[in-house]
Amino acid sequence: MATHQPYSVRVQNVSKVYKMGGIEVDALKDVSISLKSGEFDAIVGPSGSGKSTLMHILGTIDKPTSGEVYIDGVATSRMDGDELAEFRNRKLGFVFQAYNLVTGLDAEKNVELPLMTGNVSQGERRKRAEALLRHLGLGERLGMRPNQLSGGEQQRVAIARALVNEPTLILADEPTGNLDTKSGDEVIKFFKAISKERNVTIVMVTHNLDIVKHCDRVIHIRDGRIEREVVN
Amino acid sequence: MDLKDIFWLSYNDLSQKKVRTALTILMVVIGIAAIVALTSFTSGISNSITGELESLGPTSIIVGSSTQLGFTQGDVNEMEALPNVTSVTALITGAGTFYAGNQNTSVTVVGISSSGLAQLLGGNVTLIQGSAYTDTIAPEAVIGYDVAFPSSAAGQQTVTTGQSAALKLSGASRNASEITVPVIGILASHGTSLIPIDSAVFVSVQAAGVLLHKTSYNEMVVTADNLSSVNATAALITTIFGSSARVLTTAQLLSTASSIIGSITLLLAVIAGISLFVAAIGIMNIMLMSVMERTHEIGVLKAIGFKNRHVMLVFMLQALIIGFMGGVIGIAAGAGTAYGLVGLSSLASGPSGVQGSSSAGVSSSPTFAASGYRSGSRFESAPGGGGAVFAGGPTSSSASSSGISIKPAFPITTILLALLIAMGVSVVAGLYPAWRASRMEPIDALREL
Repeated sequence: MATHQPYSVRVQNVSKVYKMGGIEVDALKDVSISLKSGEFDAIVGPSGSGKSTLMHILGTIDKPTSGEVYIDGVATSRMDGDELAEFRNRKLGFVFQAYNLVTGLDAEKNVELPLMTGNVSQGERRKRAEALLRHLGLGERLGMRPNQLSGGEQQRVAIARALVNEPTLILADEPTGNLDTKSGDEVIKFFKAISKERNVTIVMVTHNLDIVKHCDRVIHIRDGRIEREVVN
Repeated sequence: MDLKDIFWLSYNDLSQKKVRTALTILMVVIGIAAIVALTSFTSGISNSITGELESLGPTSIIVGSSTQLGFTQGDVNEMEALPNVTSVTALITGAGTFYAGNQNTSVTVVGISSSGLAQLLGGNVTLIQGSAYTDTIAPEAVIGYDVAFPSSAAGQQTVTTGQSAALKLSGASRNASEITVPVIGILASHGTSLIPIDSAVFVSVQAAGVLLHKTSYNEMVVTADNLSSVNATAALITTIFGSSARVLTTAQLLSTASSIIGSITLLLAVIAGISLFVAAIGIMNIMLMSVMERTHEIGVLKAIGFKNRHVMLVFMLQALIIGFMGGVIGIAAGAGTAYGLVGLSSLASGPSGVQGSSSAGVSSSPTFAASGYRSGSRFESAPGGGGAVFAGGPTSSSASSSGISIKPAFPITTILLALLIAMGVSVVAGLYPAWRASRMEPIDALREL
């Protein structure tokens, strides 16, 4: 873990241009941000502001038109598909609004998924998945399928899945969007605690300004540009 | 990534969609069952027919007279003198009806020397009652098992040795009256054979000449000393007799039979192939649908670090599992169907089993019209009355009791090949959907959320 580095994530002059029906759309315009390890950060902005694009570029599932993204000091924009897959597997975790658990697998197997592509033994995988799920209060839910879990529980399984490979950066796309207030608050509470406990950078995209008061840094984005950055 | 994990992911997804998976497997099952049933059925037929023909001996050359004159003892001696010939068995044959008890049985009357009879029966004359005849003019008969125990008498013995029975010869006899022949021996059941041994009445050549009013033989079985000399010897015999004899080797019979069977097999294989092709399209269709449905899931898997080849493998393994299961079930279903086909065809052709259809197939080949006298000959043969030994002709209903029985054949190679085809077809059908899945960009898969 790159605790010696001041920033775990650096976005340098990133622009993203989409072509839609022959018209070029600037989704991001010269965006630069730096995020520290152990921070719980938020990206907020209205629809179409470019916050999702930024999120995808941070997650290395989309490439910037220009500029560079460094995660743990590694430049990501020139990696090919398999390199990126491996990089994501080691350094990144994802939490989605719709949880996106694999429906056929129970909670524990879902958490084990990211470890399957590596060389982690079956026993070790199980141990780590179980420990995380217990930590997130799902000790009684290990063998349950997603459709047997509540939304809040599913999202916690997703958080465990994002955490299991001890990533540098967790990206959460509207993680409370499908949850009631209580479950949503719980998820935020977990994010806050996890970022400190595990020294992991968590970046959450949301348009819920209520929940961002818990965040260490709130990046406001509008029309593809950073409007302002608030450090709490 | 562990293949075990990939397999597990594949299997898990299939087991989630039980009905869909079952239907996909069913498509493979039908195709494979068709292949297995048809090939095992036809190779069963092929085995029986070639078995029958081979029982004649691979070095046998059948020489049938195509004139009214037949073969003289001189001809037989000439054959015996040929190089590479080890033995010649000459036969006089005719058709008749055998009366014993209250039963009448259609029989083939065969005049053959006692040593020739032994040779025809594979070396030994096995009798359940009585003794064999000697080569005298006395009309003593050794009868086939089914003549003594006709199926019309429900297996009851109608005649014992020492008794006499009436024999009415069709056509050949000038007086067309019944002849009384003493039965001196009853042969053990010989089982299936192209020569209707079980329904034949054997007498000495001398006796047959008298009974059938023939002064010459109408068939000879010439045995060559080894396989490599068969064709040369057959050619030599053809040269000697010219158009007055039809010369056939077992190899020729075999090749004719196998070419007929070959074309049937090809036709059936094409039908089975079409059903497999349809199965392949079905698998591809269902897998493409599955890939589309799992777009998000594939996106998530790729986001958390699954590489293209991992995703590809997950889907390829699904295809392989479908193929394997379809193959295994299909082979079992095909085996069942093959036995069903045998049952069905025996229903269709009466109690004689598949013999009817197979002998019809074979006798359509001209090789089996090897002998027999034409009607209107100076021997006054009735139409179809010649009753040549080697023609399991339609008039010889008695022949059916010693008909060919078919057992579907399931060589291990067929089973393995079917399994391989099942998995191969599935994998080929799964290639494109799996490739589509592997090429999905995580961003496109996730953007649809």
